[in-house]
Amino acid sequence: MQANELHGLRTFMRGHGVIFAYSGYVNEQVLSGVGEAVKQKLVLEEADRKTMRSVFAVFVEQMQNIIRYSAEKIGDHDETQEGRELRYGVLTIGQEDGAGYTVHAGNLIEKSDIRRLRERLSDLKEMSHDELRAAYKAQLKAGPDEFSKGAGIGFIEIARRASEPLDFDFSEVDDNHVFFALRARV
Amino acid sequence: MDNLYIEATDRSPAVSFEFSKGHLQLSGESYPEDANGFYKPIFEALDSYLDDLGSGECRFDFELIYFNSSSAKAIMTMMDKLEEAAASGAAVNVHWRYDVEDDNMKELGEELGEDLEEASFHLEELDDDG
Repeated sequence: MQANELHGLRTFMRGHGVIFAYSGYVNEQVLSGVGEAVKQKLVLEEADRKTMRSVFAVFVEQMQNIIRYSAEKIGDHDETQEGRELRYGVLTIGQEDGAGYTVHAGNLIEKSDIRRLRERLSDLKEMSHDELRAAYKAQLKAGPDEFSKGAGIGFIEIARRASEPLDFDFSEVDDNHVFFALRARV
Repeated sequence: MDNLYIEATDRSPAVSFEFSKGHLQLSGESYPEDANGFYKPIFEALDSYLDDLGSGECRFDFELIYFNSSSAKAIMTMMDKLEEAAASGAAVNVHWRYDVEDDNMKELGEELGEDLEEASFHLEELDDDG
């Protein structure tokens, strides 16, 4: 990429209020490192502690969704550090008009997962704050297996921390995959 | 039994289980890479302490700033263990101490503590010291 192209990308993102952007293979160490910088940025901006923790909480759940569920991956699900699986995703944090924050994350998923995700997220979009609290508790009690590796609780956590209903969308990629994007405003 | 102390890291809470004093505390942030792996030895120590508690007294302080959804499950498991000990005759007090500026943490305490019947549950604001 030429300097002007890279600068164009930067200008495009800044134009959209993006203050953090990560696109690439992700692991837990990336989550830790980017997470520390996100925290520091929020402290420097003197965000109130509730907002700070909510933005951070949504960031953690969104990153972990990519790490666990992105359909774009290399390596094995093996315990040794070097051969360990990496999954690809995109995550941005934006700040709109100096007010709220937006955490937007996306990754490839199998087409066969669209229906399940759409149903789950549509349900969450309709819920009131109290209903989200009840759903969170119910999911904790239900155990992690009832909705694939605990993804259910992660989405509920994102929804309850968000200040307005979640936005999600799917974009066609190839015969087997779509790009799934989930946006939460805090 | 031996007390259990684990220092906090960027992603895991400080554990101070002073079994000899009946005072147990979990504080800080909890979003470990492997929540099950992190909490397993903590559960084991808690189990063996509570098994021998009989009608003794125990105070558990949760003083958490942030925990992710995987850690929430572990916290609920600890609440269940404490409730069970109380149902078996122990005098158990659970204190959920939250930052006054973060009502999400208060709500989470309400949700996680609402099933305690035999154990006493106390929601407490922490002073605004940053």
